[in-house]
Amino acid sequence: MKRSLKTCVAFASVASLVTACIGPAAEQARAAEPRAELSVHDAWARTADSGATTAVYFTLVNTSATPDTLTAITTAEAEESGMHMSMQQGTMMRMAAVRALPVPGKDSLHFAPLGAHAMLMRMRRAVVPGDTVAVTLSFSSGQALEVRAGVRAR
Amino acid sequence: MDPPAAAPPLSATRADGATTTLADAKGEVVALYFGYTHCPDVCPTTMADWARAKRALGADTVRVRFIFVSVDPGRDTPEIVQAYARQFDAAFTGLVTTDAQLALLRRDWGMPVYPEGDPRTRDYTVAHPAHTYVVDREGRTRLMIPPGTRGEEIAQDLRRLR
Repeated sequence: MKRSLKTCVAFASVASLVTACIGPAAEQARAAEPRAELSVHDAWARTADSGATTAVYFTLVNTSATPDTLTAITTAEAEESGMHMSMQQGTMMRMAAVRALPVPGKDSLHFAPLGAHAMLMRMRRAVVPGDTVAVTLSFSSGQALEVRAGVRAR
Repeated sequence: MDPPAAAPPLSATRADGATTTLADAKGEVVALYFGYTHCPDVCPTTMADWARAKRALGADTVRVRFIFVSVDPGRDTPEIVQAYARQFDAAFTGLVTTDAQLALLRRDWGMPVYPEGDPRTRDYTVAHPAHTYVVDREGRTRLMIPPGTRGEEIAQDLRRLR
C-alpha cells in the first residue's frame, strides 16, 4: 500500500538571521544571491526496534535553477546517522558511505530502497507505524530542511 | 539455472543453539537469504518482499521454508536473527553462522562475504550476496532471485517448484 505522507519542512535559514542584523545594503546583496528552493516529499522510515538499524527514504526536489549539495543527514533519533548507497557488484551487495550529493537545479534526488538511503544506527527508541522519525538535511549553501518521516511497516 | 546442480552444503546455528544444515530441509523448497540484521536497506527490503510472497502463496506455502542466514557472527546471535526474521513473518526462520560456519560458507558457496569499515566498531557494514537462492525439494539450487523482485513474482517462482 502506497501511503502519501505529509512532510513538514522548515527552513532553518542562518543566512536570513544574519542579514536581519547587518542592515539593508547587505540584505539587498544577500537577497540578490540565487538560492536553491528545496523541498522533501514522501519521506518514510522503516519500522525498527530500539537499538536497531533503520533507513529513511524520501524525494528531494529542487524547483529552482540554482544547484546545491546535500552534505549531511542528522537525527536525534539514533546514536549515529549518515548517507549510504547500496550497490550491487556482480552477485554481491555492498554499501558505501556518501559524503556529499549534488542537487542540480530543476531536478530531484530519490532516496529509495536498494539505492541511496539515510542510515540510522542504534535507534534510541523503537518506532512503529504511526510514529514519525525527524531527520535534518543539511546543504553546502547553509540551508537545512527538517523532515518528519512517517514510519511504515516492513 | 540449467542444469540444476546440488546446492553446496550449508551449516548454521539455530536460536536453540543446535546446528542445522540445508540437508535437514530436504523435501521442502527453501528460499535462502544471506544478510545481517544491521543491514538497513537491502535485507529488510528483501524480507518485506518475501513476506508479500508468502501472503501471495497462501496455502501453497506449506512446502516452502524461508530462511534468513546472518553472515555477521560478530554482532548477530541466533536469538537476534530469529527475532529479526519473525518480525517480517512469524513462520520465517533466522539462523546465524559461527565464524567456522561462515568460513565454510565462503568456501563452499564461493561467496566473498566480508566486513567493510572497522569491525572493531559497532558500525561496520557487510558485503553479502544480493540474491535470494531457491533450493528445490531435491536439494538442488534452482533459482537466484535478484533483489527488488516483487513479492508476487517471487511467489510465482516458488509455486513452480513447490
